Amino acid sequence: MDVAAWSVAAPAIGSAFLASLVEVVEAFTIVLAVGTLRGWRPAALGTVAALAVLGMLIVLLGPVLDRVPLHLLQLVIGVLLLLFGMGWLRKAILRAAGTIPLHDEDAIFASESAQLAEAAGQRRTSLDWIAGLTAFKAVLLEGLEVVFIVIAVGAGRGLLWPAAFGALAACLAILTIGIIVHRPLAKVPENTLKFGVGVMLSAFGVFWTGEGLGIDWPGQDIALVVFAALFLGVGIATASALRRPTVEVAR
Amino acid sequence: MSIIVEVAKELLGMFLADARLTTATLVLVTIVAGLVVALHLEPLVGGSVLLLSCLVILVEAAVREAKRRSTS
Repeated sequence: MDVAAWSVAAPAIGSAFLASLVEVVEAFTIVLAVGTLRGWRPAALGTVAALAVLGMLIVLLGPVLDRVPLHLLQLVIGVLLLLFGMGWLRKAILRAAGTIPLHDEDAIFASESAQLAEAAGQRRTSLDWIAGLTAFKAVLLEGLEVVFIVIAVGAGRGLLWPAAFGALAACLAILTIGIIVHRPLAKVPENTLKFGVGVMLSAFGVFWTGEGLGIDWPGQDIALVVFAALFLGVGIATASALRRPTVEVAR
Repeated sequence: MSIIVEVAKELLGMFLADARLTTATLVLVTIVAGLVVALHLEPLVGGSVLLLSCLVILVEAAVREAKRRSTS
């Protein structure tokens, strides 16, 4: 792979890896709560069932994407990436500025555990079913975002497999760390990752939307790096400006 | 059934988290498409409009939300 090819493949793999890392951490926290409280059988069953649904989604969507003309695919995916990426980046900026609270995996773990314990008090007979369903929902909902990101950053240039590899690597990394530490992964710098992913997805969004509209970006794929640098700079500057306390001048 | 509703909500929430940001982005893409495709504006100028306007929309959305939260 030459430098130009790597300049677009590396962001695709990196974005899929980082975005998946964030989503898998969130799903892992809930699956861990289910496994700790109700045993690993319902947790594993719920997780496997959700992964099967996500797999089916990819198998069904893959051939459909192949039939869509490339420019139209780039435009649609580009616009969706812009909406999704700028939404993530906006939230990450607000979190970095301290306007909205950071994601707290320990608090989510405690809340899920409390909900399951409450369900245990009310419905003893179908408790494993409820626990399995909780794991299923967590993996399905977080996994949907991973599937979208993999398709979005991969489909425009035939990079579906490298992007999927990035997502799989993130799943394996979190699973391995999770098995070792056996507690919510509260130390993962989630907002920093979300900031980075928001930057990459927004950059991809501008790039694909432009290509879909017939714009030949100067430097081709290298333009992605420039877009990412701009989004990063503007994002950091905005977060920093919003963090600054208002100083009132006394007259 | 509730899972289907939650999946639908999650999918919508992925793209419609901030209605004004979503609307502004869609209007921007429509305008750039009109400029480049219909009015045959230099594509690179259209690309620059797209990139810079996205940055403006992002900053406006973050500042607006921060102000809203600080006043409420």
